[in-house]
This record gives sequence, C-alpha cells and structure tokens, in this order.
Amino acid sequence: MIMKRTFIVTIGLLLLGGSIVAQGSKPPKTQFMVRGYGHAGLDYIKTADGTDYSFVGAAFSPIFLFKQGSRFMFETELEFELQQNKLEIGLEYANLMYVINKYLMGRAGKFLLPFGTFMERLHPAWINRLSSKPLGFGHDGIAPASDIGVELRGAAHIGGTAINYSVYVVNGARLKDGSIEPDEAGMLSFQNYIDNNNNKFVGARVGYLPLYNSSMEIGASFYTGKPGDKGSVYQDVTAFLWALDFSFVKQISPIKGILDIKAQFSQTKLSDAYYPVGEEDRDSTDLYTFNNLSRAYYAQFSYRPSMASSSFLKNLEIIGRYSKLKTPEGSEWESNTDETTIGLNYWISWRQVIKVNYAFINSEGGHGAEEGTGKQKSNTLFVHWAIGL
Amino acid sequence: MKKLIFIFILAISVTAIAILASSCTAQREMYAQKSGAELWAQNCIRCHNIPSPPAYSDVQWETIGLHMKERANLTTEQIDKIVGFLQAAN
Repeated sequence: MIMKRTFIVTIGLLLLGGSIVAQGSKPPKTQFMVRGYGHAGLDYIKTADGTDYSFVGAAFSPIFLFKQGSRFMFETELEFELQQNKLEIGLEYANLMYVINKYLMGRAGKFLLPFGTFMERLHPAWINRLSSKPLGFGHDGIAPASDIGVELRGAAHIGGTAINYSVYVVNGARLKDGSIEPDEAGMLSFQNYIDNNNNKFVGARVGYLPLYNSSMEIGASFYTGKPGDKGSVYQDVTAFLWALDFSFVKQISPIKGILDIKAQFSQTKLSDAYYPVGEEDRDSTDLYTFNNLSRAYYAQFSYRPSMASSSFLKNLEIIGRYSKLKTPEGSEWESNTDETTIGLNYWISWRQVIKVNYAFINSEGGHGAEEGTGKQKSNTLFVHWAIGL
Repeated sequence: MKKLIFIFILAISVTAIAILASSCTAQREMYAQKSGAELWAQNCIRCHNIPSPPAYSDVQWETIGLHMKERANLTTEQIDKIVGFLQAAN
C-alpha cells in the first residue's frame, strides 16, 4: 500500500514538474526588446579663423522592437542628441513590418528608405567606421533618409547568386521655393511629414550579390516625384534622384584580415524652375534659374587584421574615406566640397569602438558662406566612443 | 539588317539564359546547403562586426532575427538558419 502511494505521488510530482519546466521553456508569442546605440566624443576643429574644440555627442538612439508571432513586428528608433545647447529629439523610424511569404515583406509607417545603403544600413554610430557621415549624406543631405509611406521588400536566390529588392510609395520631398529662406530656393526638404501636394514619390532599389559567399553587393536605386506645393507655380517641377552603391567585405587569409570596401554615388536633379531674387527684392519680378543638379559620393576602405596572433592587433582597424559634394552652380547654395578622412579604430568588443579620425576638408561656397571667400580649408580631429546595444 | 541584328541579340540572350539556368540548379543546391554558421559569417559582416552568439538569449535572437531579416533583406530560409545556429551556439 505504502509502495503504491509512493509510486502514485512520484508520478504526480514528475508530471507537475514536467509541466512547470515545459511552461518555463516555451517562448512567448509576443516579445519586446530594447536595442539601440549611443556615442560621445571630442571634436577638434582647425580653420583659417582659429581652432575650436568641444566635447560632443552624448547622443542616444534607442530602438524598440515588438514582435508578435513569427510574421509581425513593430519597430521604432528615437534620437536624443544635444545640438546647439539644446536637446533635439527625433523619430528616425516607426513602422509595422509583416512577412507576407518567403520572398516578400511589407512595411508601413515611417521607415528608412533603401536609397543606396548608407542611411538605411550603415549610419548608426557603432556601424559607421568613421565619426562623421560622408558629405551629402544624412538628414541634411541631397538624398532622402526616411519617409512615411508603404513598401514591399524581399530577397531571393538566383542560382548561386542573390538578389534583394524594394519598392515604395511615400509622401516625398518638398521643394523649398525661397519664399521663407531665399538662399535655399531650389533645395529639397526631406522632412515632409504631411504631404504638400497629392503627388506621392515612388522609389525602388535592387541589390545583386553575384558571389556565392555574399561578399559583394552592387545596388541601384531611384526616387522620383513632384515636390512643389499644390497650386503653386512649382507644382509641375519634377525631381529624379538615383544612386549606385557597392560593397565588398571579406576576411582574406593572404592578408590575414578583413577588407571592407564601400562606396555610393547619389545624384539629385530637378526640372527647370524660376525663383525670386533675394529677400530685399521680394516685390520685384526678377527671377533666376539654374541647372538644379547635385551630386554626392564617397568611397571608403577599411582593413582589420582579424587573423593576427596579437589580441591587441586583431582589434585595430585602419580606415580611409574620400567624399565629395557638389551642389548646383548658379544657386544661392552652390558649393563644392571634398573631404579626405583617415582613421584608426580600436574595437573593445564586437559592438563597442573607440574611433580616432582626422578629416581634411576643402570647401567653396555653401549655404551661408560669404561671397568671394574662395576655397576654405579646415581640419578636424574626432575622438569618439560608440556602442551598439 | 536591323532585323538580323535583333535576331542575333535575341539568340545570344536565349543561349545565355539557357546556360545560366542549367548551371543554376547545381549552384542553387549548393546555396541551399549553406549552414547557419556559414550564413551568419557571410551576411552579418556585410554591415557590422559578427555578433557573438552568447550576447543574447534564444528569445532575443528570434526578435533580432526578424529585425535583421528586414534590415539586411534576407530570405526566410537564411534568417531561420542563422537564428537556429545562434540559438544552438548560445
């Protein structure tokens, strides 16, 4: 009798324990996670007018991921950064994502646009090998970073190669016609969260990975629409932007390390339009026009001796980047700027880095530049720390 | 003459596609046999340093996997294998 009771109790305890263990190991259907990145550092700027140096950054970008099941996710990234003695808060993206099938996903909301690859994939402080963005890239660049709309994207294999693709419809850029800031007439503003006309921008990117080991990717993008305000004289102005991007990243045994080469070329072209001359001539009928063409490109290489026997050496990385920005001749914001940056990074871990970069900048013209000042040279030393969470 | 050139270009294109298609099958099979570890090493490095498997829990890797599937534009098969490898190596 005692043996029988002991047996029954033992079986009962095993079943109960198994149930508890099973519940503890079963993953929940909804998952919430916080990731993100942050950076801080010191900038030392030397120009013909003197030197300025300041601690900068203390920037934090939290990323919130909410996953429901295996197909649905909501993701958002905020930006908190100290600029010009005040805290700037931005919404980098906030979008829903749904896996439609093996080769297709849908997104809706504010999302990073696949115009080239730098802003969509490479701009976070712990991923960007340098402390600055290439000329013409970023939130004030000549190409879009993010926008509000809908997108279909996906990837597929073609034999031993791979292809990825994306097509989207968004509110699009807004044309600055000079009515508020005359020296910005003809510029595109990509911070256009309520559409200024009923003409949406469409865009797409195709990326091709021709090698079996996926080490190389070549991409082509475009983004086009009408940016002028509805009912204005600029409502029929068209904008056509396109970009080419290239990436090669591979650990190569003969050089005992990782070679990383990246490049992107972007062009922005607006159709002809006439803009009023200067604020003081607001009532005059003087108008001017120019060939509204802007170009920006960068090419970057880095090498990290990841196969070195020294644990110190394998965490070092040397980087070099050349970037150039040219904005339209004849515009109030005409500029011609080039930047050569060299750097040495030390990777504390796979997601934490100390970057020491030195940039040589030659610039002529630009928004706010005084006329007749010619080419200006400036050098900047960046010492930054960045971490991915 | 234009017609001849057109037919010539069409013939070359069809031949090229046929060669590509016939070699595709073998390469497609090789691609499908890639392990999670291979895919992890080849794809993560395209943007950032390869993450360490113990950096996150199994549940967290599932969430990160879906986020990266979208960001890196990977197929479902690729990301499932990568996440499976990271969870096993965790």
